[in-house]
Amino acid sequence: MNPRRLFSRTKLYWGLALICLIGALASPHTSSGANIFLSYQNLTDVLRQVSVTGLVATGMTIVILLGGIDLSVGSVMGCSSVICAMLLTKSGWTPAAIMGAPAATISIALAVGFLAQFVFNGLERGRDVDAGRRREIVLGPWRGYRIPVLLGLAAGAAVAAYVVSQVPAKFGVFAVLLVTPCFALALGAINGALIVQGGLQPFIATLAMMVSALGIGRLTGGQDFAVIPVYTGTNATEAFEVLRSMVWGLIPMPSIFFLVTIVLFGAILRFTTFGRYVYAIGGNVEAAKLSGVKVKQVQFAAYVISGLLAGVAGVLFVAQYRQGKPDAGAGLELDAIAAVVIGGTSLMGGRGGLAGTFVGVLIFGLLSDILQLQNIDSNVQLLMKGLIIVGTVLVQEQNLGQLLARWRGVPLAPQPALPGSVEAARPPNAAKASTVREDIHEKT
Amino acid sequence: MTMQADVAPMHDAGNALVGSNAAWSAGESGRSPETGSPILEVSRVSKSFGGIAALVDVDFDLRAGEVHALVGENGAGKSTLMKILAGVHVDYDGVIRLAGAQVRFAGVQDAERAGVAIIHQELDLVPELSAADNIFLGREPLIAGTIVDRRRIVRAAEALLRRLGIAIDPQSRVADLRVGEQQLVEIAKALSLDARILMMDEPTSALSTSECETLFKVVRQLAAAGVAIIFTSHRIDEVVALANRVTVLRDGRRVLTAPIEGLSSNAIISAMVGRTLVSTHREPVAVEGGPVLSVRNLALDMVGPRGWRRVLHGVSFDLRRGEILGIGGLLGSGRTEILESIFGAARGWRTGEIAIDGEPVAIGSPAEACRLGVALVTEDRKARGLLLASTVRDNMALPSVGALSRFGVRGFAREAALAEDMVERLSVRCNDVDQIVSTLSGGNQQKVVIGKWLATEPRVLLLDEPTRGIDVGAKQEIYQLVFQLAAHGLGIVTVSSEMPELLLLSDRVLVMCEGRQTAILSRAEATQEAIMRLAAPGLSERTAGAAG
Repeated sequence: MNPRRLFSRTKLYWGLALICLIGALASPHTSSGANIFLSYQNLTDVLRQVSVTGLVATGMTIVILLGGIDLSVGSVMGCSSVICAMLLTKSGWTPAAIMGAPAATISIALAVGFLAQFVFNGLERGRDVDAGRRREIVLGPWRGYRIPVLLGLAAGAAVAAYVVSQVPAKFGVFAVLLVTPCFALALGAINGALIVQGGLQPFIATLAMMVSALGIGRLTGGQDFAVIPVYTGTNATEAFEVLRSMVWGLIPMPSIFFLVTIVLFGAILRFTTFGRYVYAIGGNVEAAKLSGVKVKQVQFAAYVISGLLAGVAGVLFVAQYRQGKPDAGAGLELDAIAAVVIGGTSLMGGRGGLAGTFVGVLIFGLLSDILQLQNIDSNVQLLMKGLIIVGTVLVQEQNLGQLLARWRGVPLAPQPALPGSVEAARPPNAAKASTVREDIHEKT
Repeated sequence: MTMQADVAPMHDAGNALVGSNAAWSAGESGRSPETGSPILEVSRVSKSFGGIAALVDVDFDLRAGEVHALVGENGAGKSTLMKILAGVHVDYDGVIRLAGAQVRFAGVQDAERAGVAIIHQELDLVPELSAADNIFLGREPLIAGTIVDRRRIVRAAEALLRRLGIAIDPQSRVADLRVGEQQLVEIAKALSLDARILMMDEPTSALSTSECETLFKVVRQLAAAGVAIIFTSHRIDEVVALANRVTVLRDGRRVLTAPIEGLSSNAIISAMVGRTLVSTHREPVAVEGGPVLSVRNLALDMVGPRGWRRVLHGVSFDLRRGEILGIGGLLGSGRTEILESIFGAARGWRTGEIAIDGEPVAIGSPAEACRLGVALVTEDRKARGLLLASTVRDNMALPSVGALSRFGVRGFAREAALAEDMVERLSVRCNDVDQIVSTLSGGNQQKVVIGKWLATEPRVLLLDEPTRGIDVGAKQEIYQLVFQLAAHGLGIVTVSSEMPELLLLSDRVLVMCEGRQTAILSRAEATQEAIMRLAAPGLSERTAGAAG
């Protein structure tokens, strides 16, 4: 790979480095002469602040990669923050507990059931993977549905018992971390079902959920107080503080969630069949379907993941801001989409990845940090965000190439939906010739 | 000149928008439809696409007031010729003279200005607009240069439709009209452009018999009024009934131009077929054992714009190991739908029984079909077969990713080995398996599609137009490959529009006509003439009885 290609492939990281450099140079100094921007405290703060957006953007990346969009994540996050705050501060069968307990029970039961079946299938098939490629289905003893169903029911019963035991008193940290994401997961599952089974366009289905989830959040919180304050130690368990503490004094807890999530899902996208299918569906849904990919399952799973991560983000929001409020995530979905797009993931699907999203999230975080350090109006921040979105997307190679070509007056071959960046070897007329050649074979 | 008496009163409703100098209101244009002098002359026109000749030195002429049929097999060059005349293709060799003057259209608008209009098979109407709005789309009369004068549009459209004797409310939404009525709206649109030459590509392909009658009446009326009409059709009976003259194209060359009188439909058919394909002959493989795939009473209903429509009626056949069953028929006769129904990819309601290796199966999705060892190579490999932006390796491995994984974790090494193995076995010409698949040639892309299915070790391979859009050399390689696969015991069903290819590949040929299976011909019975006769609507009813 020549240096230019290397540079153009990695320019996102150079952009990140550039922002860091600007931050460091423009940063005010403490009285002792230390650079505030570069201080450990400041950088970890940035990482803490981007965690909520980052979690949501991770789920959003997967959805966008397979050619969808999830507008509901902001509202789902807000709704989750209300549920979480309510579980922490109120005892008894509050609306939050009434909705959360069944959601957790069902979600965990299904998750365990499917996981068990998945593992048994893998065990059963694992031996002959090398022998033959053809997946000859032998109905082995493991393959029955009985054991997974039993395991699922057992897990569901255990969760139900645990959650119900938490209800009379206020919920503990673990219970909240279990119930809230499960509730959000259920909302994501509704999104997925509407899109996959109902045949709704993702934009519409998730727009409806965006509005509805805000309503659910407000109803749950009660009309009078939209904001539910959480004071650990007084009206909530002291242990909840752990979610905003520094781990070993090194990294903020929310950042751990964010980093683990992004690494985990990065690995899933890279190394698993699920990841392969996500890219295949985003690349060409028809070809994927005709290649035997279970498109509906994968799409459904993506929306479920997106919901789940929005739920986790809701818990972290409560931990960070000590409150739950229904409109906590207003505009969050757009921030997440912006981060994904800056990260180079195509809104058409099929191209991009979580590494880019990670950088995109950091660029936003660093930008607002720099401007805050300079005491610049937050409205300027919004303007800058807009400029960065436009700028980075323009710089992404294929767009820039098109612009330059137009300025130079070079006619472009009709561009099919492929990344112009990687096909250096593509003969200039290949696309044209092949499309024309098919003309002949059209009906005469 | 009797028709002119009918035509003349139509002009009463004349409007500044249309008919001011409409050639087809022949009463005042002074041109007699019977002059017989060519209004359009085409001499030695050639056109090739990327090295493949579509038209070779074609001569063609058209007289005012005549209905000229253009016939030929799929790929004979009919569309190409029409598109050249309509200004769609602008780079061609040869000369076109319009009313004696040499012309070279710069584009479709240019041709329309010169009075040449084309009605494509897929109609170019905006479904949500009214008929009147469609007729004047882009040329709306304005009040004070700003506001669309809707009343004038409706009035003008009404006048126009009345002149054509078409009973359509100009204010009705096009989506609510039948296909035949939409076709008539297209004709009205073309005439509102003062078309002297009207070309229609397969105008009757979607029409019912009564709709055809209406269309024919309008066409005859126009011809009598001096409009020259070119139309293509697969229905030979229609050609005989409607045309004054017929031109037959074969392999891009003109084979015949003659007045319709004295031409039998058989004569037209034998002029159309007779394409030959230089190729190796295949030794017939001894087929043995029970059927690997058997299909009984396969029927498919699809939702069309006007409700449910049956596109397949009771298709039944058996396919043995090592056998290649060809499916012949015209486009739209249900060939692709058979394959998609078997593969579980058809959009619609499917009935009938399918058994694989004697076991009845219910294939509801492509995923199930893959699991059962059925593979489908689609007709449109770019849109439906390949992930164009991905590598050869990823494309080859896609259907097998699940089988090569362990606990959902991809087996990268196994995927690469599979792709390399397939590239070698099918001799795909690529730099390495990491090459982006869109940079390969058509033939090699097709091999990738076939390869990705072979990697799943299927029992039944369904091929839809396996050599579409690939060059001759690559075609030969694909044929050899198909023969090899059959010799290895795969059951193969192949659909092809190219008659010689169909005959070359197939052990037996199933012929489809308008969603019905008209015959299964053995190798000995299958000739181009026999297949064409069984596939052509209108003719097949007469001969189906004879063919059994």
